[in-house]
Amino acid sequence: MKLWLSLLMGLKEIAAHKFRSGLTMLGIILGVASLLTTFALTAGIAHGMRDFMTQIGGIEKIDVTRQDPPEEQTSFAEISPGATVADAEIIRRRADLVSYVSPVSELPAALTRSNQTFRAQVYGCWPDFAYINKHEVATGRMLSQIDLDEARHVCLVGRTIVEKLFLGRKDYNAVGESILINGRPFTIVGIFNFYEREEDKLRRARGEPPKGPQPGRGAGGGGGGNRRPGGGWDPFFRKNTSVQIPITTMFYDYKSANVVGLVDQGPNYKLDQLIFQVNDVARFQDAIEQTRTLLGVTHRGIDDFSFNTREEWFDNMERSIKSTRISGGLIAVISLIVGGIGITNIMLASITERIREIGVRRAIGAKGRDIFLQIIVESSVIGICGGVLGLAASAGLMRLLATLTDSENTPIVEPGAILISFSFAVAIGVLSGFYPAIKASRLDPIEALRYG
Amino acid sequence: MALIELREVTKRYRVGEQEIVALDGIDLDIAQGEYAAIIGPSGSGKSTLMHLLGCLDTPSTGRMMIDGIDASRAGGNRLSELRNAKIGFVFQSFNLLPKFNVLQNVELPMIYAGIGGAERKRRALAAIERVGLSNRVKNTPLQLSGGQMQRVAIARAIVNDPRIIFADEPTGNLDSTTGESILALFRELSAQGRTIVLVTHDADIAAHTPRRIEMRDGKIVGDQRRN
Repeated sequence: MKLWLSLLMGLKEIAAHKFRSGLTMLGIILGVASLLTTFALTAGIAHGMRDFMTQIGGIEKIDVTRQDPPEEQTSFAEISPGATVADAEIIRRRADLVSYVSPVSELPAALTRSNQTFRAQVYGCWPDFAYINKHEVATGRMLSQIDLDEARHVCLVGRTIVEKLFLGRKDYNAVGESILINGRPFTIVGIFNFYEREEDKLRRARGEPPKGPQPGRGAGGGGGGNRRPGGGWDPFFRKNTSVQIPITTMFYDYKSANVVGLVDQGPNYKLDQLIFQVNDVARFQDAIEQTRTLLGVTHRGIDDFSFNTREEWFDNMERSIKSTRISGGLIAVISLIVGGIGITNIMLASITERIREIGVRRAIGAKGRDIFLQIIVESSVIGICGGVLGLAASAGLMRLLATLTDSENTPIVEPGAILISFSFAVAIGVLSGFYPAIKASRLDPIEALRYG
Repeated sequence: MALIELREVTKRYRVGEQEIVALDGIDLDIAQGEYAAIIGPSGSGKSTLMHLLGCLDTPSTGRMMIDGIDASRAGGNRLSELRNAKIGFVFQSFNLLPKFNVLQNVELPMIYAGIGGAERKRRALAAIERVGLSNRVKNTPLQLSGGQMQRVAIARAIVNDPRIIFADEPTGNLDSTTGESILALFRELSAQGRTIVLVTHDADIAAHTPRRIEMRDGKIVGDQRRN
């Protein structure tokens, strides 16, 4: 009924003490701004991390790695053939919880075209390798079964390989061109998408050079790490310098002889990696058990393999994102509470100033609850105004932080975060008015009229 | 039945260990349309009596009926409603809200009565006209003289059309000429049939009123009517 009038009166009261109200509001403004900024920054970091996690295969990717067999099996462990293509075959044929599987045989090799040479890691694999590692073909085609069956000399390459071998022309359509891998000719049949961080994408869109030293200086980083040659960490460097060939070609051309000290050790058809992707993350453990049983067959019961999942790693990441959010949010909430105490303080001062006014209002018919409402409305108005201004201020704060810290991730402002921050400001405004409002509403009218 | 009936009303305060009897067995009737002055030296209990009559407080014992309603046992909200609907106050120090203009000050009791905006403004302007301040509607109290402020306070007191108006030393802060004009205004209001009770320590002022109730030590010691 009288809420609208109370609101007008509250605004009037605040307008009458602009400087004081402004100072009081500042506490709320800063609190809201830091709360929303914390949310936005952590959301940005979380987005960047999840993006990266998806790009490197996501949680559904599982590696089978070698491990030492248990002690009771060591004496006859050599009956196991170790990791072979047969492992991948049996998974492909029998594991219905697995959607993609690929054996991998690796070779650090020199890629040559004309007088350009670049060292990169070559992966002999199945077509599934690209699916599991979320490589998407931009131009050309994937590997095919025929490539495997006929051990063709075809390869798929990442964008950075094209850039290195074709005179820095990263966007050159090199499909159909020939390159040499350790001296043997291969035809490029497909080129992958270029992968980069959001930040680099933005930087590129603005026409700025990427961070860190320019690529092209210093010879390749080889297959190791995601370190750009010359420094600067790029999580996608390895992905962009990937070369994939049929695993059969890898075996025939590069692994059928293994000369060590002038003596041929014979072919080495052991796998360097065996990777697969489960088709339902909810049945993650079932898929692992199924694969374990199958590999028990090919490894003749020797327990010389284990599964390397990224579940724990991802869980840790999610947990650290969450704890960053909570601790940042908590600090911001504390500053909001401090702002609220400021409101309480100023409202107490304000009612002391207005004791007589309250007495007059009571004398002409205001009930205790009318006075209560009036004070609550005033503190709420401070909270609401502070909240709105704080939301606006957070935009500035984010920009300031972005320039000061040169952050990796662009902050993401989610509607939910805006709602939470604003609601907090309003709630603080209402709550901080409670004590002064109760105090004001309980003033004895006669005492109040006599005051001052 | 009288507009106000007090029967055996006492009011005691406790100050520390000591009990002070401010009102001691008061019996009083005030009829509709009366113009009375309560007079007495300070400490005689006249202010306490006015607070009781004005529903700002309740008696310790005894009965107090206002316009047929038992105010002696009413709770805080009920007292507020009574003050709002039945009583108008005029104070010695005017007690206008300095941040509001004349119109807003006069509108205030109607806000608590829940009267709508247009009606509020109409009635407020009529009350301001009644006290002769139509040309100062938009001024704030600080831009007015003492006499004008008291007129605004009177307009505020009559705007809800109360059954009774209490004035506590209404001329105490005014020079004698201005005070005289305020008293003249009260006489006019009385002539229109309003019930008015003045509280004063000034015998000259009490001489204006048809009824004069004299108090001393918490008791009524004299009650004279003149014609």
